[in-house]
Amino acid sequence: MRPTSLAELRDAVRDTQGTLLVKGAGTAEGWAGVPDPTDHVLETTGLTGVITYNPADMTVAVRAGTPFAALQRELAAGGQRVCLDPARAAAGATVGGLVATADAGPLRHAYGGPRDLLIGVTVVLADGTVARSGGHVIKNVAGYDLGKLLCGSFGTLGVIAEVVLRVHPLPPASRTVSIPCDATEAVEHTGRVLEARLEPAALEWCDGELLARYEGVESSVELRAAATPGGTTLSTSDAEAAWRRVAEVGDGDLVVRCGSRPSQLPAVAKHATSLTSSTAVGVHTLTVTDVDRLREEFPQVTVLRSAPGTQAWGEPHAAVPLMRAVKQRFDPDGRLGPGRYRPWF
Amino acid sequence: MSLTDLREDLIASLGPDGVVTDPAHLRTYECDALTGYRVVPALVALPRDAAEVAAAVTACARYKVPFVARGAGTGLSGGALPVADGVVISLQRLRRVVEVDPVDRRATVEPGVTNLDISRAAAKYGLYYSPDPSSQQVCTIGGNVAENSGGAHCLKYGFTVNHILAVDVVLPDGTATRLGGDAPHQAGFDLLGAFVGTEGTLGIVTGVVVRLLHTPATVRTLVANFDSTKDAGDAVTAVIAAGIVPAAIEMMDNLAIQAVNAAVDAGFDPDTAAALIVELDGPADEVEARFADLTRLCDKATAVTVARDAAHRAAIWQGRKAAFAAVGRLSPNYFVQDGVVPRTRLGEALTRIAEMGDTAGIRVANVFHAGDGNLHPLVLYSEERGEHERAEALSTAIAELCVELGGSLSGEHGIGTDKACSMPRMFSADDLATMQRLRAAFDPEGLCNPGKVFPTPRLCGERPGPYRPHPLEAAGVIERL
Repeated sequence: MRPTSLAELRDAVRDTQGTLLVKGAGTAEGWAGVPDPTDHVLETTGLTGVITYNPADMTVAVRAGTPFAALQRELAAGGQRVCLDPARAAAGATVGGLVATADAGPLRHAYGGPRDLLIGVTVVLADGTVARSGGHVIKNVAGYDLGKLLCGSFGTLGVIAEVVLRVHPLPPASRTVSIPCDATEAVEHTGRVLEARLEPAALEWCDGELLARYEGVESSVELRAAATPGGTTLSTSDAEAAWRRVAEVGDGDLVVRCGSRPSQLPAVAKHATSLTSSTAVGVHTLTVTDVDRLREEFPQVTVLRSAPGTQAWGEPHAAVPLMRAVKQRFDPDGRLGPGRYRPWF
Repeated sequence: MSLTDLREDLIASLGPDGVVTDPAHLRTYECDALTGYRVVPALVALPRDAAEVAAAVTACARYKVPFVARGAGTGLSGGALPVADGVVISLQRLRRVVEVDPVDRRATVEPGVTNLDISRAAAKYGLYYSPDPSSQQVCTIGGNVAENSGGAHCLKYGFTVNHILAVDVVLPDGTATRLGGDAPHQAGFDLLGAFVGTEGTLGIVTGVVVRLLHTPATVRTLVANFDSTKDAGDAVTAVIAAGIVPAAIEMMDNLAIQAVNAAVDAGFDPDTAAALIVELDGPADEVEARFADLTRLCDKATAVTVARDAAHRAAIWQGRKAAFAAVGRLSPNYFVQDGVVPRTRLGEALTRIAEMGDTAGIRVANVFHAGDGNLHPLVLYSEERGEHERAEALSTAIAELCVELGGSLSGEHGIGTDKACSMPRMFSADDLATMQRLRAAFDPEGLCNPGKVFPTPRLCGERPGPYRPHPLEAAGVIERL
């Protein structure tokens, strides 16, 4: 099924029987658990286009199947962007897909992830109920924030139909600085960059190199790059190549994302054959050979690309009973994405 | 009689000094800072730690007695209003700063710690906790988590939810759990994000891990006077359009300035129609370059004062943050509103509010976070002159006007008791029912702060306000099915 409007989407969910797999562009096909075969596949790629964009309000409402890269192009014409830079964007990832998988890239250092930029959502529940939460203003605490609940739900709680995102101005200039170092030194360098109040937009350690990206007015990014302790300012083409290497960490055979205290980076890196880490945040994307050993030490792991026979989820963490309870209330018949979260539910 | 049994259980768990039963003492818990609603609770529990909170909640769950968590009681939406024949669980004794970790830039604190005390504990490391509600000297981090509190500097730095790494929660059945973790990456749904801002309806927070930021290298602050709120609003739009993201942009109208001047000597011009406080912070060169742009963009200002030093800047902010309290000097009673409008509708909103005030014969002072469209109209009235109902109706109409203009009923104070009856103006029955599913997942018995956020027949009469289409719907921009 490939609905092209909210009404068609609602009808597709409401008027069918059996299980449903929600699918965007398929760029996160291997993420989380492998879903069971379903009675229907519901593609969101027909739900495209900006619904409302008023640059002066710094918000944009967009249909969930819109390719994120296309949205960014449209915003760039207004001198703005959504401050999200996940590697999958280049492969055609949809806006809804990025929210459902809670995906982000190096810009998470300054701007967080989808949860931090999502200000409104329209979702179709498994019984066809259409619900909205949030709205079109950045500051809003009216009612529960269902958008955040959907971050990391992998299509198991509802079908995201529309999202409203916060946008930021495009920076006039940027510079990337490289500091060659190992994982232990990366933690120390991170502390120094932060203590120097240089305010990087991204601070990412990738396989032996700490990259600091500064964004702002030309004179300032130049000065900040020069002031970075132990760093070399990269040329535009070298910077592009360095950030490409960061994005390519996700291309391995068994790739996971995990969280830790930032200072635990060296312990995480021991498990990796290739790793990129937002060092101040403590979110790492890594290629591993043994995900179970990593999980023993760092339980907050999401599988992004799995080898056959990989167990997607580890021991249930403290909040898993609540996840089950939420799933039960939102999708009591288990229609959506069965198997995604096995063995948790 | 279950309340008698419950009282015995609570005394057994918390000791006699952990339970308030004296009617006179119970009255001190009858309201939060929304003083128009008052309910005396049956009992107040004063737990000392997380285990005692869990014991208190478990006892309430056993007898199916509703309970309400309370921090400092500074909430402005009646979120901590007790339930009659229910229990208030006060977190005032959970005031320990457990750990400040300068290496991983985080602090672990108990919920009764004040917002400002977190920054004080972090200051020796050059770190601070960013969200800064104006009540930050008094309000607690537990309350901030419940309300997803904002503050003046949220324009650049975001709200409470963007600065919380984890919360320890006692669920409404007494079970303790943790949402979030060491990093903002969780295996599973973002239950932490969904929990923050639920106004104490999903559980009681017993511990909070907050992100700490380094204090900015440079801070520049100016106060710009304008001949009208419209001119000031246009300047805000111009600043944002220029790609500047200030740490804060605050606006005060003449009435608010008069109130502040009567309370604090912050040097605001008593004769200006409106003043903007704009603050930039960050790396020195970035700030200086942007500050020059900012000064240019205030070309319609009648006067621009740049803060001379940290003391001058502190005085400006002291004045701004004292505004709500200072209004008490202008009026014996007032309602604080908290609506949000899209930035581009700011001028229109202010004009409409002034007209509505004139029609009602009620003065409205405006002091607000202009950068994100979060209005705080202060509706001034006199109980003695019998203006309460007229003022309350005006205040409600202002909140609903914000929805009509494409905004929200609340930017940071919460819905609580105050605006639950207006929720159907903003959300459809399906929207609210879907939110209730989340509530039921956490609190199937409905014991945790019942009667808040969502309209109830008891609170709103048998007929909650009619649903009206959102303006974007009416314009055909979005569809409601």
